[in-house]
Amino acid sequence: MGRFLQSSSVLLRAGDSPLLPFPSRPLSEDGGCGRAQAGGGGTGPAGEVSGAGEREQTPVLQTNNGPSLIGLTTIATHLVKQAKKEQLLGNTAEEKAIVQQWLEYRVIQVDGQSNKEDTRIILKDLNSYLEDKVYLAGNNFTLADILMYYGLHHIMVDLTVQEKEKYLNVSRWFNHVQHYPGIRQHLSSIVFIKNRLYTNAH
Amino acid sequence: AWRWPPTEHVVPFLTQPCLPALQLDSGAVLFSPNAICRYFFLLSGKEQDDVANQWLEWEATELQPAVSAALYLQLVQGKSGEEALAPVREALAHVDQGLAQRGTTYLTGDAESVADVVVWGALFPLFQDGSCLPDNLGLLGSWFRSMSQLAPCRAAAAAVLTPEGARELRAHLQRQPVPSPAFKRPATNEPEEEESAE
Repeated sequence: MGRFLQSSSVLLRAGDSPLLPFPSRPLSEDGGCGRAQAGGGGTGPAGEVSGAGEREQTPVLQTNNGPSLIGLTTIATHLVKQAKKEQLLGNTAEEKAIVQQWLEYRVIQVDGQSNKEDTRIILKDLNSYLEDKVYLAGNNFTLADILMYYGLHHIMVDLTVQEKEKYLNVSRWFNHVQHYPGIRQHLSSIVFIKNRLYTNAH
Repeated sequence: AWRWPPTEHVVPFLTQPCLPALQLDSGAVLFSPNAICRYFFLLSGKEQDDVANQWLEWEATELQPAVSAALYLQLVQGKSGEEALAPVREALAHVDQGLAQRGTTYLTGDAESVADVVVWGALFPLFQDGSCLPDNLGLLGSWFRSMSQLAPCRAAAAAVLTPEGARELRAHLQRQPVPSPAFKRPATNEPEEEESAE
């Protein structure tokens, strides 16, 4: 069941997770999220997402089988269930908790970053977290990867070649996700060089 | 889900100290209090529905900054009463309205769920015995008091809010930047909201 960490605890082992190829499972292969519909006459297949009053950026989804849902990760989780892709939310209690943890990180840390230093910390932390992982939840591709990829895209697009090498694990993960079928869509493809140019990048 | 005074580096991949953290048997570490609460509830066989997810996201994005600002006024600047509660007034009304709309004893139904634990845990440092909750928010008051009487909540409060814990909480707040009462977050240019459904 796990234990709460004390300050003296030690932690993750590095380097015991092989990089695995993964099956293609596009989010919307069976019609996606078609059951959520707009409340006010909209007919878009995903429902009409509008901003909430209090926080300018908070999306609201009016579903046709219940009350409206508020919040990016809440709506995204709902859409995943509508698309019958529950595996994207994690398969075990542990994986589910990890997925939700990174979804929360996305809306608090990534969306809340307001300066270069915040951005640097996010990339540094993700880089060390991803050192021994293919995806955020481990070896399985989940909603956390999708939303983190979308949230980081505008940051990654501005990185220099040197920075992409400095955050090598983030770059590797990001490159995986942008090539995952059906995820990138209209977002620009970001170029990552496979071989190191700078041997002293760290 | 109060981020307890984070002074120790227990999560190896995070630059900022972060507590509480839960190390799982697999070696994975949960560093989000809400994710830790979710994990315990999932282990007990309870799945999370949209309503619970929405409360947890609201707690992390809206309630936490509001509670931090109010605690800062109370514990660092010595304000009290209405003045100290100004940053959380809207959030408190939101909880009261949520209870009224569902017509249930707890936030997601008639039994306490992960949403109740997380929201109660965030509010507890502000209200403790519940006596200074606004009188006009009756549902909030009765919900808060019934949560506070649960044995696990009483035990958690006793463990965390010792006199030493209260001092640590104040010391932690003093190290924080002065919270902005408006909680305006920077605009972002993300295109994702309408993208995943084609």
